[in-house]
Amino acid sequence: MHIPDGFLSAPVAAATWAGGAASIAWALRVEKRDADPAPAPTLGALAAFVFAGQLVNLPVLPGTSGHLVGGTLAAALVGPWRGLLVMATVLAVQSLMFQDGGVTAFGANLLALGGAGAVCGFAVAALVARLVPGVRGLVAGPVIGAFAGTLCGAAFIALALAASGLYPARAVLPVMLSFHVPIALVEAALTGTVLATVVRWRPDIVRGLQSGRSGRAPALGVLVLALAVAGFVAPRASSLPDALTSVAARLGFAGAERAAWPAPWPGYTLPWLGDGHASTAVAGLVGTLAAATLAWALTRKLGAPGDGPRA
Amino acid sequence: MSRALATRAGVRRPGLRLAAGLALAALAAVAPAGLRGESVPLASWLVWLAALAAGAASFLRAGSTLPQLARRVAWLLPFVLVLALPAALIAPAGRRAPAAAALVVRALAASLVAASTAFRLGPLGLVRGVRALGAPERLAEVLEAALVGLAAMLDRARAMLRAREARRTGHGAWALVLREPVATLSGFGRFGGALLLRTLERAEAQQRARLARGADLT
Repeated sequence: MHIPDGFLSAPVAAATWAGGAASIAWALRVEKRDADPAPAPTLGALAAFVFAGQLVNLPVLPGTSGHLVGGTLAAALVGPWRGLLVMATVLAVQSLMFQDGGVTAFGANLLALGGAGAVCGFAVAALVARLVPGVRGLVAGPVIGAFAGTLCGAAFIALALAASGLYPARAVLPVMLSFHVPIALVEAALTGTVLATVVRWRPDIVRGLQSGRSGRAPALGVLVLALAVAGFVAPRASSLPDALTSVAARLGFAGAERAAWPAPWPGYTLPWLGDGHASTAVAGLVGTLAAATLAWALTRKLGAPGDGPRA
Repeated sequence: MSRALATRAGVRRPGLRLAAGLALAALAAVAPAGLRGESVPLASWLVWLAALAAGAASFLRAGSTLPQLARRVAWLLPFVLVLALPAALIAPAGRRAPAAAALVVRALAASLVAASTAFRLGPLGLVRGVRALGAPERLAEVLEAALVGLAAMLDRARAMLRAREARRTGHGAWALVLREPVATLSGFGRFGGALLLRTLERAEAQQRARLARGADLT
């Protein structure tokens, strides 16, 4: 789903444009450093394919159709950042020439369809492709990545619309996510069936995912899955006390608990969001990002395995 | 499609036209629409009116007709209504109809002026405009390659779909996914995979040909 013009507030449109421009600038920088840059005609042809693929609607339910989005598919073929450039081209053509997605909403659409599909989806795909060896991983990875990327994009669109003051986040987020589960299933299935045909005849074309099996992408995939669990699953977890708290209450020493350090958000509750699902979700996301940043900083400081002195 | 993709290389100062069109679209898209219960300012209505008039005039001047213009607006209307109506329902009572009307007019005005700018410029004028606005050359190259390949790609996809429909007389090109999930999805996979392979192999062949002629493709 593309956001049309007129539905994002000026601050949200400006912020998402800035985010989209920054992601394109980063993609161009990464590509410039690449020793083997992809020719522009190949990326242009892939963009034309994704555009054409989005025009072929499949009937899903009576009165409802779905189509390929293609972000994870493009990333599997040419890598996540080139995939982002491909999606930026597709969205620019759709927005300007066919009124499909707004000009002011270009940044939001790029982050939701390109960023979520090509970068987050690719990260999950690379993780799965690393776990599943051989050509099976080249198909299974993008299938799961496309599903995750579509849901990430839907969540992003919901949050952008809520931040623009159109709908309350508590209402629009569950609606968007539940509506997008069947769409994500269709996207995953279409990505998988297209890639199965490609891998059968020309597995060498799936260059992005083959090189993405090593390097940082699988680690980023773990982070994406951890963020999804923290943001969407953790707030709906059981509110009953855990084993230690339960035993402490039963034996009567629960009141002896003293905080050695004044935590800013005790009990995963943010003061300005109150004691609800949203508070737990934001606290979970911040905590996951903080833990990931700390782990990344420590591994950089300590050095990667095998970085020791060599003879 | 081929009409929409027809080049209008003769359009002068494409960068200025593109910048002006995008600026008017952005202005129309972010003009206040009274979402927080306040009344819609008169200035917003004037901006939307100006954008609608400019968009329609630009379309007509570029050779479009009124029925074509109406079709463009009608195509967009369902998407706009899906987003506008729920937002209007949660607006304060008594402000729902104005909020819905303002959202719909705002979305249509901004979309129309952006689309008319691109229609007036044509694909190659659009690429020239993007270059004139100082966009990174790499992006402009990919955009140009995508636009050049788009018409051929759509024709190829249409021909493949037609051939598929001719072979599968039971129920057109595709069955309902829920009725025949495996056959429909694997059919789409074979179609999409074949189209993708043809596309990328054609791009590889073009690249080899240009390399053979000594072109720098990076």
